[in-house]
Amino acid sequence: MSLGAVPEAVPESWGPEPPDSDLDDLDVKARRELEATWRSPSGLLGWLTETSHTALGKRYIVTAFVFFALGGIEALLMRLQLARPENTVLGADLYNQVFTMHGSTMMFLFAVPVMLGMGLYLVPLMIGTRNLAFPRLNAYSYYAYLLGGLLLYGAFFLNVGPDAGWFAYVPLAGPDYSPGKRVDVWAQMITFTELSSLAAAVNLITTIFKHRAPGMSLNRIPLFVWSILVTSFMVVFAMPAVMSSSLFLALDRLVDTHFFNPAEGGDAILWQHLFWFFGHPEVYIIFLPATGMVSAIIVAFTRRPAFGYTALVLSLVATAFIGFGLWVHHMFATGLPQLGQSFFTAASIMIVVPSGTQIFCWLATLWGGRVRFKTPLLYVLGFIAIFVLGGLTGVMLAAVPLDLQVHDTFFVVAHFHYVLIGGAVFPLLGGITFWFPKMTGRLMSERLGKLGFGLVFLGFNLTFFPMHQLGLEGMPRRVYTYLPETGWGDLNLLATVGAGILGLGVLVFVLNALWSLRFGEVAGGDPWGADGLEWSTASPPAPYNFFHLPTVRGRYARWVQDEDQPVVVGLRTDRREVLVTRTLDAEPDHRDILPGPSGWPLALALTTGVTFIGGIFTPWALPWGVLLTGLALIGWFWPQTDMGRTVLKEKS
Amino acid sequence: MSALTALALFIGRIGRHSALQPAGPPAERINGLWWLMFWCLTGVFILVLGALALALVSSHRRRLREPATPPAGATDPATERRMTRAVGGAIGLTVILLFVLLVASIATGRSISPLSAPKDALEVEVVGHQWWWQFEYADPDPSRIVSTANELHIPVGRAVKLRLTSRDVIHSFWVPNLNGKMDLIPGRNADTWIQADRPGVYRGQCAEFCGHQHAHMALEVIADPPERFDAWLAAQRQAAPLPASPLAQRGQQVFLSSSCPLCHAVQGTTAGSGVGPDLTHVASRRTLAAGTLPNNRGNLAGWILDPQSIKPGNRMPPTALSPADLEALLAYLESLR
Amino acid sequence: MKRPPQLDVSELPTVVFGSRTTLWWGVTGLITIEGTVFAIVAATYFYLRGGAVEWPPPGVSQPPLALTTAFLAVLLASLAPMHWTNKAALRGDLRGIQIWLAVTTVLGAACLVMRGFEFSLLSYEWRSHAYGSVVWTILSLHTLHLLTSIGENVLFLVLLAKGPVEDKHLLDVTVNGLYWFFVVAAWVPFYFILYMDPGLFRP
Repeated sequence: MSLGAVPEAVPESWGPEPPDSDLDDLDVKARRELEATWRSPSGLLGWLTETSHTALGKRYIVTAFVFFALGGIEALLMRLQLARPENTVLGADLYNQVFTMHGSTMMFLFAVPVMLGMGLYLVPLMIGTRNLAFPRLNAYSYYAYLLGGLLLYGAFFLNVGPDAGWFAYVPLAGPDYSPGKRVDVWAQMITFTELSSLAAAVNLITTIFKHRAPGMSLNRIPLFVWSILVTSFMVVFAMPAVMSSSLFLALDRLVDTHFFNPAEGGDAILWQHLFWFFGHPEVYIIFLPATGMVSAIIVAFTRRPAFGYTALVLSLVATAFIGFGLWVHHMFATGLPQLGQSFFTAASIMIVVPSGTQIFCWLATLWGGRVRFKTPLLYVLGFIAIFVLGGLTGVMLAAVPLDLQVHDTFFVVAHFHYVLIGGAVFPLLGGITFWFPKMTGRLMSERLGKLGFGLVFLGFNLTFFPMHQLGLEGMPRRVYTYLPETGWGDLNLLATVGAGILGLGVLVFVLNALWSLRFGEVAGGDPWGADGLEWSTASPPAPYNFFHLPTVRGRYARWVQDEDQPVVVGLRTDRREVLVTRTLDAEPDHRDILPGPSGWPLALALTTGVTFIGGIFTPWALPWGVLLTGLALIGWFWPQTDMGRTVLKEKS
Repeated sequence: MSALTALALFIGRIGRHSALQPAGPPAERINGLWWLMFWCLTGVFILVLGALALALVSSHRRRLREPATPPAGATDPATERRMTRAVGGAIGLTVILLFVLLVASIATGRSISPLSAPKDALEVEVVGHQWWWQFEYADPDPSRIVSTANELHIPVGRAVKLRLTSRDVIHSFWVPNLNGKMDLIPGRNADTWIQADRPGVYRGQCAEFCGHQHAHMALEVIADPPERFDAWLAAQRQAAPLPASPLAQRGQQVFLSSSCPLCHAVQGTTAGSGVGPDLTHVASRRTLAAGTLPNNRGNLAGWILDPQSIKPGNRMPPTALSPADLEALLAYLESLR
Repeated sequence: MKRPPQLDVSELPTVVFGSRTTLWWGVTGLITIEGTVFAIVAATYFYLRGGAVEWPPPGVSQPPLALTTAFLAVLLASLAPMHWTNKAALRGDLRGIQIWLAVTTVLGAACLVMRGFEFSLLSYEWRSHAYGSVVWTILSLHTLHLLTSIGENVLFLVLLAKGPVEDKHLLDVTVNGLYWFFVVAAWVPFYFILYMDPGLFRP
């Protein structure tokens, strides 16, 4: 191990997977059976019927990183176009498509799915269970997400890529000013990814409430799991807004309704209300899981409990509540009544309090701990510096007068990249480095990790810091070029150089991951001496996660263990049985039997695909799609009778 | 060579537009708020980074100091108490600072609101089009209403109330030296006001993505001393003079017999369409195609013949003209002063 | 290796009811999401109403109140048999489930027929004006829910008749009942929003 001179003082009373030689014959047999019961079938069919949360979680993360790369390439193309005034790398049409693709990709196909993917992978391990509460729903989420992404990129490569911005403001995105199918593609991509996120959110909420290891009462839930729980609730209340609005948009475009048509009693600003009622919480949906990662990493690398666990949890909850009350700050320039504006300014400023509380708690934790400067922690330190700056410019934007100056300029571009890259991507890269050994069994290279971090940090600041100045000097967002007389050339060139360095840093990160997959140091169950239950099993975990489900006696499960602390026994090994516990105190309540591999999730995703993609071309796709979807649902819910349940009435 | 000269002149004449070089009361007040926030928040940023550095040093030292690492998860009650006080204090200070900034923001917001514009303000209607600006100077007598494009003339030292709306998609009016931006929304009206206390040319640009040529939807606000402004307005009220030279007369025929009048108006002729900019005084303007090109003969010719290569996707179709017709048309248009 | 102490869960039941189960949480999640969608559509109605000069637009006439009120009454009446279906499921009484679920479904089907008349009596289309757009959307969304729910009931009736029926299906029946309650409850505010709008009673 290359973890320095720090002795690992973690007790090993249970977990990571004792070797066969340490078990008696009965246990060896039980483990074999458990393995056979939970293993996914191999081959293509096995891949398509997969329901394991670790496999699907990894698939989610890898897919999201592919989209991250695509979105990154789009960003580099935009930077190239803007490097000099009146550049001709991309024309107006292509530039407008590319910036729309970049925003849509990063928000809908990267940030949200990757955060949910991390949750889907980690939550069952962190709370000590064998799978998510609804394994097939998890598979459906993944396929719906994948289809949405494929639809968007398929259309883009066929030159039908959306070009009205990731926010698709009407009337520009409406039937009159965006003829053709470009915006329809966008609207249906939204529907896919929203369905996927909603399904994942319900799955995560249920799993967190009902599948926690005995003893993991609400006040002992790991901070990352709390962040995923709160995020999932935000998804449940935010996503319906954009689903409804994109439905209205699709109806306006396809069957001539008038939701957004002022000439027939509709209203263009209605779109903005609905979109930002989703769009602002969306930012926190991306950011909150990242704060969970930050907490987990800081705790592991300071070897002490997080300072202010309760304050951190309350901050998450407060952020979620306030996050729904400030969407109008995206609309200050629409000329809404002043009283309303003041309310939204106050709400937007108020959200600094929970965010600030989190930062202060992390600083205190760092201060009171014994810090080890490993790559994951470096990303967290970078996160603090960058996110705080982004948060402070956020305070400026909350002030209506300043917002009226810098709204829709490069100042805002700088601000939200500080918040989103600083606030979410930095913790994510740190989190991937941190949990990589759990997912793959090997550690990522520290040397490449630090190099990657250095490049990302430098490149990021070079790219986005100058944009503050550009915005103040009057450069609006979403312009495909600018005149030389504007004097914006030099700073733009600097930003483009920075983007190149940032891209290089991400490339180093990805290469590090690929290299480490083959050649990285073998990790063992717990390479960091960390606190969470996920480190109490093999790396990568067996298909059943834990041979014996663990019990919990404290917030930092592996650091707080008693001699007499039991493990859970008595779950059947010949079927996919899991323990369901009570919502508040996590006392054992009943056993549940989870379904195994199934092709229905994919089938359902395909039938919903027929509905949505067909709907772009003809309204008749709707009845047909609903019919097919109904059939797939019947197949899905058709009772499985091979689970050894009590039969009340025989087949007649 | 002449193109280069024109370009050099053009550059020299454009003022540097910046929110931080205010030229009138609203922009000045916002500028004041900016610097208040800038200094307060920079202070916060330095404090947080300082605290982070201190935390890391302290944490690192603790690790080096201790010969044996205590069990993971151990804490020291005295340290925790001190940290509770520190964190509590920091949160308290945050709340106080935020409150101060909130009050400052609301106060500034009131002072720049259209309701607080001086009562003697000049009123101009701004209409957004894909991708140009229409300015209409209100007048009780409809025949005295002046309509111009992409160039907003205002008198120095007097407030100008702008009534904003759009004919197609959402645009946003923004001249950073004069005030923050306000959206032009179809089916709605919004008000804002600007004022320039120094004569000069203030550049602005559409700030809401409005489609293909959002990047080339600029405008200029030209602030002149009141008497010059009055003279300008009076001149703009005049219909186009009859072309004097035979060449220009022929140019007028070319204008009226080609596709130009389908979109453009020249007061005093039969051309009266409002689809594109009013050309009655086109030669008096400084730029073409919404701030895209300096207005000179070469650019005008290029714009008429092939607007799509200059501003791809814009609404103006190319016009095929013989060299003689073009010559005549240019002469006519240049006479529209 | 010393065996750790053990917490034996082998005696715990595998079928329980209500909020103890994951299925209940899953369906409650679904109901919350769809409830939010309905709330947003209602908010849209009021937003458009607030911006309108005249709401509903001139020339709009709704189906007779007798019809729409009868629809609501029958829909609400279906709550009772569904409640008894759930009671029967808790008792494990398959016969009772079949009877009451069938009654619920018949009432639901009656609602569907009335809904058909409701649609045909609207004096405007979805493309007539924004009012038409939002009313048609509300009616269609709810009708889709009604259809799905009735389809589910029919599916359960088939399964119960055909067998095999397992203990877990009792839980499924109660959760299906929960969703039915939602579909019924969701209509109540819309009945008032659509058919009690003061604008409809202007002379």
